Amino acid sequence: MDVSARIHQQLTKCGIKIAASLPDDWVAPLIERIAADNQIRHVRVAREAEAIAICSGAFFGGVRSAALMGATGLLTCTGELATLNLRHQIPVFLIVSQRGSIDDHRIYQEVQGRRTLPLLQALDFPYHIVDRPDEVNSIPDAFETCRMQKRPFVLFLTRRLVKGEGTA
Amino acid sequence: MKARDAIDVLARHRGDAVAVCALGMAANEWWAATKSEESFYMHGAMGFAASFALGLALSLPRVPVWLINADGSLCMNLGCLLTEASQAASNLKHFVVANGVYQTVGGLPMVNDGRADYAAIARAAGFPRARTIEALDDLERQLPAIAAEDGPSFTVLRVEPEAGFLRTPPMTYEGPEMKYRFGRALERRFGIEVFGPQGY
Repeated sequence: MDVSARIHQQLTKCGIKIAASLPDDWVAPLIERIAADNQIRHVRVAREAEAIAICSGAFFGGVRSAALMGATGLLTCTGELATLNLRHQIPVFLIVSQRGSIDDHRIYQEVQGRRTLPLLQALDFPYHIVDRPDEVNSIPDAFETCRMQKRPFVLFLTRRLVKGEGTA
Repeated sequence: MKARDAIDVLARHRGDAVAVCALGMAANEWWAATKSEESFYMHGAMGFAASFALGLALSLPRVPVWLINADGSLCMNLGCLLTEASQAASNLKHFVVANGVYQTVGGLPMVNDGRADYAAIARAAGFPRARTIEALDDLERQLPAIAAEDGPSFTVLRVEPEAGFLRTPPMTYEGPEMKYRFGRALERRFGIEVFGPQGY
């Protein structure tokens, strides 16, 4: 089973019925896998903060959801995460590529690699990094932690996890 | 027509719809008109009330959801119209109170000075039904049919800008309390579980 299938399986185990996404190339295979699942309503958005607000609305409908995006997209919606989710204590589960790691040789991802985690720490948003296929099984615990902490929770997927060993 | 009057008409015709209000004037006037706890009042995330309403509508497909948006919030993320149109939620109605100004901060002019035709933008984005209503009696006359039609629909309420600050106070519950009141109200009404057995 490839890693996208494993993650998809765990999201199903979490009871996720709505997924809102805007892709980067690391999370694109997972997004397309979810889009093909007729048990999950997949919403393609025009801006990542839409995914945050869609998941927040779904929370009040009693439906479990996830927002999928790249690390750059995460940076674009920190204001909405603060003024909607922190403000009202609404949990939102984000699945995000951990761009800018030492094996991610894209110059335009370099700042994201240096500043994303300190930014999340400053906002007091919990996160969990999944680096190996056997760690994918931690997703239901991460999802429950998100619900308990009532705030944005970021599940990062590393390059090694989604692309395998080696650099690019 | 005045924003308050237009919102009063919406409130009278809302039936059993659950409302989501953009922050500022829309939220404050809806609260003044309804005192409804079956409504969500955005405190921030300007531009994303539409997305919140879409998430709610998709998760409760048999419940009518009315979005009480404003032109300042709509323009913060016009891309929401593409997402709404693509999802085609038949239970979602999008209303925009459009006065051409940022009323909450004292009536400063909006970008493009009120020249944009938002209904035309919505139609071009893929909304099957979009219109602009400029007079209160037209709104009274058309609203029953709008409430009864399938969504997604998009209705601009063209209202007069008012001088200075509106003094309508915001709803009186703080962020987390509003969350719990809204969530518990939906649990009671629809028999759903928003919060788990331990309350989160």
